[in-house]
Amino acid sequence: MDILKFALRKLIGGIPLILGVTFISFLLMVYFGPDKTYELLGKNPTAEEIAEVRHELGYDQPFFKRYAHYLKEMVTLDFGHSEATGEKVSSILKRTMPISLLVILPGFILGNVIAIILGLVAAWYRGTWVDKTIMVGSVIGMSISFLVVIIAFQILFSSSYGLGWFPVRGWEVHDIPSYLYYVTVPTLATIFVALGYNTRFYRAVLVEEMNKDHVRTARAFGASPQSIMIKGVLKNAMVPIITRIMFSIPLVVVSGSLLIESYFGIPGIGKVTFDAITGGDQPILKAIVGLTAALFVVVLIATDILYRVFDPRVELK
Amino acid sequence: MNTITQTNPTLAEKGQSLWDRAWYKFKRDKMGILGLIIVGFFLILAAGVWLGLWGGNWSDTTDDLWQGPSWEHWFGTNVIGQDVLARVLYGTKVAFEVGLVVTILSTLLGAILGALAGFFSGTWVDAVVLWMMGVLDSIPFYLFVAAVAFALKGNPYAMHIAMISTFWTTTARIIRGEVIKLKSQEFVEAARSIGVKQAVIIFRHILPNTTHILLVQATITFVAAIKTEVILSFLGLGVKDGISWGLLISESTQDILAGHFNNFIAASSFLFLLVIGFNMFSDALQDALDPKKVS
Repeated sequence: MDILKFALRKLIGGIPLILGVTFISFLLMVYFGPDKTYELLGKNPTAEEIAEVRHELGYDQPFFKRYAHYLKEMVTLDFGHSEATGEKVSSILKRTMPISLLVILPGFILGNVIAIILGLVAAWYRGTWVDKTIMVGSVIGMSISFLVVIIAFQILFSSSYGLGWFPVRGWEVHDIPSYLYYVTVPTLATIFVALGYNTRFYRAVLVEEMNKDHVRTARAFGASPQSIMIKGVLKNAMVPIITRIMFSIPLVVVSGSLLIESYFGIPGIGKVTFDAITGGDQPILKAIVGLTAALFVVVLIATDILYRVFDPRVELK
Repeated sequence: MNTITQTNPTLAEKGQSLWDRAWYKFKRDKMGILGLIIVGFFLILAAGVWLGLWGGNWSDTTDDLWQGPSWEHWFGTNVIGQDVLARVLYGTKVAFEVGLVVTILSTLLGAILGALAGFFSGTWVDAVVLWMMGVLDSIPFYLFVAAVAFALKGNPYAMHIAMISTFWTTTARIIRGEVIKLKSQEFVEAARSIGVKQAVIIFRHILPNTTHILLVQATITFVAAIKTEVILSFLGLGVKDGISWGLLISESTQDILAGHFNNFIAASSFLFLLVIGFNMFSDALQDALDPKKVS
């Protein structure tokens, strides 16, 4: 019950955030956005025709009425129809969301798990060549652009100049083997890019925890490295680790998949966003901005609840 | 740091200010020095383009198309016979322009708003700044850039403006935390007790004590700006006039299909070298300046 009450209170606290995000996106994309009047009109329109189209588009209404209309669309999840294809925005999202999750999840999970393991190893062997190798590797990883990684991996794994094992573009998934066939290269690229930053962050957090007294005591009692690192260090460092993982979720879902999907030609939400950006498809852009903001609020609440799970001292206030 | 050197002349005479100690530490960091040399080298490359010494002919078709590397064209030529080296050099200038503009303005904005939020923590000023940071952080970045580009009707600085208005939040969060710590220290209390104005306390007494953090944060912002330019230009939201590393990589995706790697190798290796140089420099700077940094 406590958790439910807490979540509800946080949800109400998230309203200013959602209002802010929707207001900015409304201001930039709709109010100052492209004027669609003349795209819908024929040649040499009369003044009445122009006025009619502007009325249809809602351009003649006052600022706050239009903003309220946008908010109503948000609440009812009814964003209208895509301007490019005429398909309903909600059905586009329903179709593409699962594909995006399938593409992004393996890389996201593995990128964090491998980074935590590397961080643990580097922290345990702090100052030795093992640590230094991992740290130099992560600085190199941090310095390579996501775009370059994607292109290089495509050359390496998918083209006739490299191994040529996987497809360059496309997404025709029916079963597990075909899934692996299409998902491998995007996943490898995602992991590679995530590893550099993640490993450094996790190592710093873990090293800080290792300097604490309780770890020294555990060492003095002769506890095994595995039990010290996992029970004594990792578990106590969970709060910053959870924060990082949780807060990267909304960004990874939209920004991460945007590059991957548009480059690999995967028809997920990132590709839809990319096409909407380049084509100026407002209904879709509005929907995605609004939903990401909502996702952020949900993530904020979930993170606070997760803190409680890992650290019972944290009170839900 | 004025406060320390002024009130402790003996420390200053011995050369023991934070900056002296940091410089001493930095000099001994081989990776950091190497990073600084790399960054300096690229700065010279950019300055040379700026002064018109090289790279000025980036848009001329100088020779046959698709030549391999030679003494005349170090990185070969591209699809219409332009010298790839000249284009990459010009891109270096663009990268520095984007990096410097974004870094300076977003650091300034982050320092001012972060200091105000920290000094007035718990009041409505703090609440408004925190709300702004929350809002800006929860808008998907690429969409935000696209929206800014829409709203500014194709202004060539839309990308810069979008980066500045989102990158300041990280700096502001760090400065806010630091200012909350500093404002309860004695030198602030002393300044208050002799009737120094609030604005003077914030910007002359407290903010200068966060310079070392701002410096480190600025190097991180610079790297982020350069990397972001590449991705935005690739998406068609970035550099509009001229040529940049991002546009070169974007061009190269067509070349690669035909089996030509000149553009890709040139642009991505320049990008990689500058970014890793900056990262190494930034790390060493952090080790030297931030006593809390875990190394």
